[in-house]
Amino acid sequence: MTQPIIALENLTKTFRVALKPEGRSLPWARTWKTVTAVDAISLAIGRGEVVGYLGPNGAGKSTTIKMMTGILTPTAGTLRVAGRVPWRERRQHVAGIGVVFGQRNTLWWDLPVQESLDLLRHVYRVPPARFAENLTRFRALLDLDEFRFKPARDLSLGQLMRANLAAALMHDPGLLFLDEPTIGLDVVAKDRIRAFIREINRERGVTVLLTTHDLSDIEQLCERVIVIDHGRTRYDGALSELVERYGGDRALQVDFADDYAEVAVEGATLESREGRRAVFRFGRGVTAAALIGRLSERYTLADLTVREPDIEDTLRRMY
Amino acid sequence: MIFIRLASATLRAQARYRASLLVDALSALAGNGLEFVALALTFDRFGSLAGWSMGQVAFLWGLTEIAFGSMDMLFGGFDPAVFGQHIRRGTLDMYLLRPVNLIAQIFASDIMLRRLGRIAQGALVFAYANHVLALAWTPAKLLYLPVVLVSAVLFYGALFIAGATASFWTVQGLEVVNVFTYGGTALNSYPLPIFDRWLRRFFTFVIPTAVVVYYPALYFFDLPDPLGLPGWVSFLAPAVGLGALGMSLLVFKWGLRHYTSTGA
Ligand SMILES: Nc1ncnc2c1ncn2[C@@H]1O[C@H](COP(=O)(O)OP(=O)(O)OP(=O)(O)O)[C@@H](O)[C@H]1O
Ligand SMILES: [Mg+2]
Repeated sequence: MTQPIIALENLTKTFRVALKPEGRSLPWARTWKTVTAVDAISLAIGRGEVVGYLGPNGAGKSTTIKMMTGILTPTAGTLRVAGRVPWRERRQHVAGIGVVFGQRNTLWWDLPVQESLDLLRHVYRVPPARFAENLTRFRALLDLDEFRFKPARDLSLGQLMRANLAAALMHDPGLLFLDEPTIGLDVVAKDRIRAFIREINRERGVTVLLTTHDLSDIEQLCERVIVIDHGRTRYDGALSELVERYGGDRALQVDFADDYAEVAVEGATLESREGRRAVFRFGRGVTAAALIGRLSERYTLADLTVREPDIEDTLRRMY
Repeated sequence: MIFIRLASATLRAQARYRASLLVDALSALAGNGLEFVALALTFDRFGSLAGWSMGQVAFLWGLTEIAFGSMDMLFGGFDPAVFGQHIRRGTLDMYLLRPVNLIAQIFASDIMLRRLGRIAQGALVFAYANHVLALAWTPAKLLYLPVVLVSAVLFYGALFIAGATASFWTVQGLEVVNVFTYGGTALNSYPLPIFDRWLRRFFTFVIPTAVVVYYPALYFFDLPDPLGLPGWVSFLAPAVGLGALGMSLLVFKWGLRHYTSTGA
């Protein structure tokens, strides 16, 4: 990787949280506890990558993104994004990035979407010609015309997300941070957003860091994933390798042609049995072909399915 | 300038609520006006308040209301209750993601036109005070009046900003802050001598709201301070207003470094 666009070294963020926040006591009269949301994370992301940032609820994904976008000041460690320290040079930094939080909205709530976009043109000082080009492109890619003149408050969740994506990219940022951009959206809306992200990455070389709990997002968009848990990196590498390394056992589902009192085969363990159907689990040391051979010597088989562990299984094992 | 654009966007967004805006403004005019009428009625029975005539108290009241109303309109984004919402709803995060000075964005985020009702009420009471007092306005006094008004706006604004800063840490503590902001300004509407000694000292020396309205009023009335402070205290208002604003902005910037966003 030549000169990473995002570089974290032992990045750490702790929060002080009140133990009994419902009490009406003043800050100094409460008991506090320190929560380490991000715990010495190091990583580097290169220009043009689309990286999935995964982890269970409370893993520290949003907190990391808030530091990378300059919203939060790190407690310890170093962080450089496009050569800058985000929180120290907030304004220069944010001028070069695009950010979408799936649960938030950047647009002016009571103004038509188009007016918000026009305001952002001034906020980011986008040259008018460039703005017009981008607007035309995004109108096509995100079908903005469907709601461009409606105020943000009247948009559906999917439309709001499309509008926010357009808003985040009007100023040609080189980097796009997406924190759960598909949350709460239906399948069609999700597809549209994924297609857009793919297109923006391909067409403009925008680097994308994306968090999500929908693994189809990851499968369709990311070659590389970073998995964190309790604020620590658990995995950083190719998506394909994640499943191979941590995916665990494969499953062989067998439908027998007959009722057998007992079914067993060496090299695999019986996981479940229901009527004539049985599911065996087997590790990487055994091939599916060998198992099927052994089974068919002993029993009459009606049907077979081999299931590879998917990312979901893999992550479930990791969390 | 980007500030003007953001501010006019805020005003345009408010246009949708034009009807409720008018109702709010009128009810503030009536509500605060009634408070003053209640005060006036007590004068009817007692004749004076700590030796102050009805007209003099109306002068204080009007000045305070104009200043506080204007401040509330212009510094609306820093109103601790509003600012607390910005934090909880994550709007502050959105502001931090824009390459525009944060304080300018907060100013532009809320311009409460409905406060015009309160300002109008203050102006009416002030006009009435001038009518009954028949003050001898010298050019110096006429020049100093707007200076006092602006100083009071800045000073009250500083209280709002300090209160907003507190909401970086606490939601519940807001009531404490309100004691200083609303309490301090309510106090300005009455002659200082009617208050308890420790309260007077607190609001003269610690949070000097008395210096921005009460003492300048003494100058306009050509009265010595019954509490014994020298005459030049009446001219400290601009220094106190600017100083307080500067300090509150510093504290705000320091608080921002401790901002922790919300956990969603
Ligand atoms: N502003 C805050 N104040 C206190 N604690 C916080 C704050 N923000 C996050 N936390 C805590 O830090 C930890 C990490 O939170 P974070 O929001 O980064 O997780 P996440 O990986 O984004 O989770 P999710 O998938 O649920 O969005 C959690 O324990 C959370 O409660
Ligand atoms: Mg999150």
